[in-house]
Amino acid sequence: MKSTRCLLQLLRSGRTAARISELLLSPATSRLSVLHNQQQQALRHFHCSPASAKIRPVPARSVDEDKTNSTKSLATQEDLFEQVPEESKTKATFNQVIDVFTKRDIRRRGHVEFIYAALKKMSEFGVEKDLSVYNKLLDVFPKEVFVPRNYIQRMFNHYPRQQECGVQILEQMESYGIMPNVETKVLLVQIFGEKSHPVRKYQRIMYWFPRFKHVNPFPVPQPLPEDPVDLARLSLTRIANDLDSKITVYQLPCTDITESGEEIQLPHIVGIQSPSQMELLAKHNPNKPVFVEGPFPLWLRKTCVYYYVLRADPTPPEEKEEEVYDPERCFDYPLQLDLDLDRDLGDDESFDVDDLDEGPVFAMCMTSQGDQVTLNQWISGLQQNNPILGKVPTLFRLDAGIQELQAAAQPEPGHSHPPHPETQREDPQSDEDPEAVEEEESRRSHGMKQ
Amino acid sequence: MSLPKISRVPASRLLSAVHDPRWPLRSAAPLAVPKRALTQSGYRRPGQPREDKPPWQRIKFDFSKGLEGITKHFKLLRQEFSDRLVGPEGKPIIEHMLEQNRVIWEFRGPDSLQEWTLSSDREIGGQSEIHLKLGKNNETCFLYGTLQSAPPRDGETRYSGYCSMRSKQPLVSFDRKKHHDWSSFNTLHLRIRGDGRPWMVNIAAESYFTHQKDDLYSYFLYTRGGPYWQDVKIPFSKFFLTHRGRIQDNQHPLWLDKVNTIGFTLGDKADGPFQLEIDFIGVCKDYAHTEDFAYEVYKRNPEV
Repeated sequence: MKSTRCLLQLLRSGRTAARISELLLSPATSRLSVLHNQQQQALRHFHCSPASAKIRPVPARSVDEDKTNSTKSLATQEDLFEQVPEESKTKATFNQVIDVFTKRDIRRRGHVEFIYAALKKMSEFGVEKDLSVYNKLLDVFPKEVFVPRNYIQRMFNHYPRQQECGVQILEQMESYGIMPNVETKVLLVQIFGEKSHPVRKYQRIMYWFPRFKHVNPFPVPQPLPEDPVDLARLSLTRIANDLDSKITVYQLPCTDITESGEEIQLPHIVGIQSPSQMELLAKHNPNKPVFVEGPFPLWLRKTCVYYYVLRADPTPPEEKEEEVYDPERCFDYPLQLDLDLDRDLGDDESFDVDDLDEGPVFAMCMTSQGDQVTLNQWISGLQQNNPILGKVPTLFRLDAGIQELQAAAQPEPGHSHPPHPETQREDPQSDEDPEAVEEEESRRSHGMKQ
Repeated sequence: MSLPKISRVPASRLLSAVHDPRWPLRSAAPLAVPKRALTQSGYRRPGQPREDKPPWQRIKFDFSKGLEGITKHFKLLRQEFSDRLVGPEGKPIIEHMLEQNRVIWEFRGPDSLQEWTLSSDREIGGQSEIHLKLGKNNETCFLYGTLQSAPPRDGETRYSGYCSMRSKQPLVSFDRKKHHDWSSFNTLHLRIRGDGRPWMVNIAAESYFTHQKDDLYSYFLYTRGGPYWQDVKIPFSKFFLTHRGRIQDNQHPLWLDKVNTIGFTLGDKADGPFQLEIDFIGVCKDYAHTEDFAYEVYKRNPEV
């Protein structure tokens, strides 16, 4: 607390020009309280009968303000922001507008409305997540005017409108998840005093935010990668639920020129598969079909990406084969025990629910354009490592509604997506010939990134 | 996480957490003093005329409805008596004493959806939607909808965009309240499959004073997304106290002996469709978890 008081003293010394020399002469902490009183009294002199304040700075009037006064009868504080042209709405211009306001009037008349207008317009200027801008906005408040001086003022919610305004600034900061810093605290204490509502809110933010900062077990990195392939990598590793899974980029986004000379945007295709999924696929019965389902939504903070899944229906109980353990696999201990032991009710840690068997998931992929052609490419890419896909019929169960959403998100030239409820790929893609195997190998080395 | 708020709110200002919205929003200057206090009358949408009907005029009396009611309640009463013969809460006493896990809600048929209430932004004039249906093979519940965070233009509400699902208060015969008694457990176990959105779990416990009516104990539920099911275990010691969506200064742990409802809320300010599948909700006793409460019971008004 002493450190913030020192900071306070230093900042106050910046403000009161009359007492700079005295403050610089006495840095000892023991005399801080004395200084404090001296400063308070000095400030009271400043407020009651300012000798130096007779020479008031000329309010800076910009040309823009004169224009507003001539065209409109009622000028709101938002006009200052609205006058900035659309293209140049940046942090610098926002700061400029605040400077125009602060330099206009030493008493900062109408600062509450101005701050509310600024809070509303922040997102237009793109500065809603910038802490320095919030600190600058807090700086608009005149200092030490709203600090209660005795117990009666402290009791009766001194300057309630300004306190509410301060709380609203902090509330907007909190809703965007921005952590305030010590400069915010010093400003708040200077403006409102130590037991005011904005300072209490600041304390609450500083208490709870660090507690909940790392509570997400699946944190999304900030900022999100802009490259769609990187984004697909990130999201696929996230949903894979398996650290051994490997990502394969089957196609990078590129522009292809077809025979007729049209330019087509080829989408990226990124797939993921883990060794356990490969094993499951290898054990799959070739007579049963596999389904390509999608697109399913995945939200990463504010962006929604779509992924497709290759899965099969669960095997009905009569066809389930029990895995036979080979007793010679491990000689140290038996892999299977035939003991008839049951857990007591007091030790039973499993829930009394039927296990949901929804069928195995074999692979996932992400692509910007989810039509059958692209997904076919994915399946053929998967076939490199999973030869069973050549024998198994693949059915496409694509949700037409979300497909159109995806198409709308990325406009393609003259593409319409007819709904594909179930289309069967009749023949397996390649026969198991030794030549075909060689072909596949050559394809593998052709251009696949592993 | 955002919630509807008016521009002028009483002096106690705290952090916000989303939750089921049924708080009165005060209008600017009421011309006539309402007959019921604002805390009890519930939320009134700005612009709607105040209903000052006395309580006896609000109930509709109907003979057939009365007959149905009588048969239903007496049946429930008879079941209650027969349950007591089996053991406490209808289970044999050995099971009641020794159980380590209990499945409270599982979604295995259309009747299970009757236990839940949905609410969204629409009540205050927003455009979010929420729907509940059974998932694949009638084995799970599928909560889906769209979130829109554009606030309704009524001059009072500033934030909007939330959807929530809340379990109904369990009732015994003659509409008496029954409470869940989870005092022998210490962890909430959920099996869910979300789409990556962060939800909030809210537990409402029975309270004594009217001012505590909107007290909820909340915690975050982060979903991973993807085709795989996610097992989420939240110890009850992690739930923090909130009132009308604002986290409170004076924290205390959730008392598990009289729990009324549990709810899931979404309000992450990301406009668009959402979905959440829940397989079951259960409570379990985790012997490895010895924490009483995760947050300090701090002294109030600390020095700056």
